[in-house]
Amino acid sequence: MEHDKTPAIVFDHVSVTRSGLNILDNVNATIPRGSWAVLIGPNGAGKTTLLLALLGEVNYRGRIELGGGKGLRIGYVPQKLNLDRGMPFTVAEFLAMGIQKRPLWLGISRSAREEAAHLLEMVHASHIMKRRVGTLSGGEMQRVLLALALQQKPELLVLDEPSAGVDFEGGRLFCELLEDLRATQGFTQIMVSHDLGMVAHHATCVICLKRRVVAQGAPQDVLTGPVLQSLFGMHMGLICAESHIHRAPTLAPFDPEAALPLTELRPLEQVRQECAEQEKHHV
Amino acid sequence: MFDISWLLSLASHFPLDGMDMRFMQQALLALVLLAPMTAALGVQVVHYRMAFFSDAVGHSAFAGVAVGLLLGIHPHVSMPLFGLGVGLAIMFMQRYSALPSDTVIGVVFSAVVAGGLAVVSRDNTIARDLQQFLYGDILTMTEADLCWLILLFAAFLLFQLLAFNPLLYAGTSGIIARAHRIRVALCEYCFAALLALVVMFSVWGVGVLLVTALLIVPAACARNLAQTAGGMFWWAILVSLSSAVAGLALSVQPWMGTATGATIILVSCAWFLVSVLVSASRNENRL
Ligand SMILES: Nc1ncnc2c1ncn2[C@@H]1O[C@H](COP(=O)(O)OP(=O)(O)O)[C@@H](O)[C@H]1O
Ligand SMILES: [Mg+2]
Repeated sequence: MEHDKTPAIVFDHVSVTRSGLNILDNVNATIPRGSWAVLIGPNGAGKTTLLLALLGEVNYRGRIELGGGKGLRIGYVPQKLNLDRGMPFTVAEFLAMGIQKRPLWLGISRSAREEAAHLLEMVHASHIMKRRVGTLSGGEMQRVLLALALQQKPELLVLDEPSAGVDFEGGRLFCELLEDLRATQGFTQIMVSHDLGMVAHHATCVICLKRRVVAQGAPQDVLTGPVLQSLFGMHMGLICAESHIHRAPTLAPFDPEAALPLTELRPLEQVRQECAEQEKHHV
Repeated sequence: MFDISWLLSLASHFPLDGMDMRFMQQALLALVLLAPMTAALGVQVVHYRMAFFSDAVGHSAFAGVAVGLLLGIHPHVSMPLFGLGVGLAIMFMQRYSALPSDTVIGVVFSAVVAGGLAVVSRDNTIARDLQQFLYGDILTMTEADLCWLILLFAAFLLFQLLAFNPLLYAGTSGIIARAHRIRVALCEYCFAALLALVVMFSVWGVGVLLVTALLIVPAACARNLAQTAGGMFWWAILVSLSSAVAGLALSVQPWMGTATGATIILVSCAWFLVSVLVSASRNENRL
């Protein structure tokens, strides 16, 4: 990826109407190259719809420009896959189907097998190469889907709620994996997430969506009480603090800047104390 | 069209009573061509959840014959062409309609069956052909039909070589496949066209009622027996081919005297029972 100053994605007055319902209303947003952009917003805010518009899967009015009009190679990781779980279909085949020209019924070629193994290594899942796709857990499936997306050598990685159905530890590891991959591969990344702690820690660009863009910018500018209040409603203080509790032990070294808006809602020391207490209870 | 007598003389060496007769050679050749096609496409039908699609195309056979007779076209030409049209129309409507796909298919299904019955009810001379399409009759395949079947087989082979992986990709998730620059629409239209033609030829073999079984049962066996997607393809072909040949051999025995199509399906259902037992003994039974 050359040092191109054009933004990776420009949403220019994007509107989507379905069944007479305004799902997205004049969405304007710019995502710079190399950023980790996160869409946040309540259920039904239109986050998935915006990603699908980006992929060209839904009709929209307005303009979406990728790579300054030149287009970008996309890797896509969906929220979940509707798989026939009993289907004989191995992880190796799942990855090879996009790599090799030779049909899978003539076997997996050596080079495809090597590339598949390399991709799995990249997502730290080498051990599941021989497993059936239908027997994978949510977190394992997510890694395989990520490997499939990485196989595209994407310039833009699109992820829809990759942490849904994965425990906090799994979600954290997945985000750290993405952080490493983005550093080595240099792609731009746009994802939907509900984990505000993760957003505060990793995102470089946050878009708050609720049918229209409520706020956008760097996390410390966007994740403020008033914005979250208008985005999620009354109970946000609580949710926010809760996600903070789960995150706090992992934020080492602690980044006060990223967490500043969150600590406004609750004194930091109190949160830490509660964390320590929680851990005692668990032991 | 082209000379297939060497293929027929090859078939005559098959160790079965009556293979010296022309129609038996033709029937065997037709089955050996049809069985792998229905098996492999059946695997994809299962993966794509398109059983209802193939059922609808199969049921359009009768309307195809009726239309052919009305227009003075030979049924063996009008029927595949009509089925091809119905298959592509369903695919097109599925892509551009907001309705769920089984609703779209249900509407087309009703239209073609009603159309066929309407024509038949006007003209009684067509009605006697009805039975042939309900039960099928592989023994009435002509040499010209076989030539077409060989061409279809070549197209099938080409499709499976070029499009097996992309189609698997698209069947896993159309959105991912499109985002990853797979030509999903092209694959799906080619698949629908091929499937429609194979279904129409299969109607001759086993009849309207059993066409879907010819696609689904070998795939279901293979799902139980195989460990990989590539293995499933070969298992389905093995099950389908062995059922077809055994079904033909059994059906012409004097003590059986059953319809060939039904016998083939019964053999493959026996295969299915075996596959269930094998899968259960592997302790991964998900019945
Ligand atoms: N195909 C559709 N037809 C009509 N409405 C839809 C369709 N898909 C989504 N919606 C509506 O669009 C809104 C946004 O959905 P979505 O983008 O999935 O939200 P999110 O991902 O933010 O939870 C929801 O209110 C949903 O009901
Ligand atoms: Mg969503």
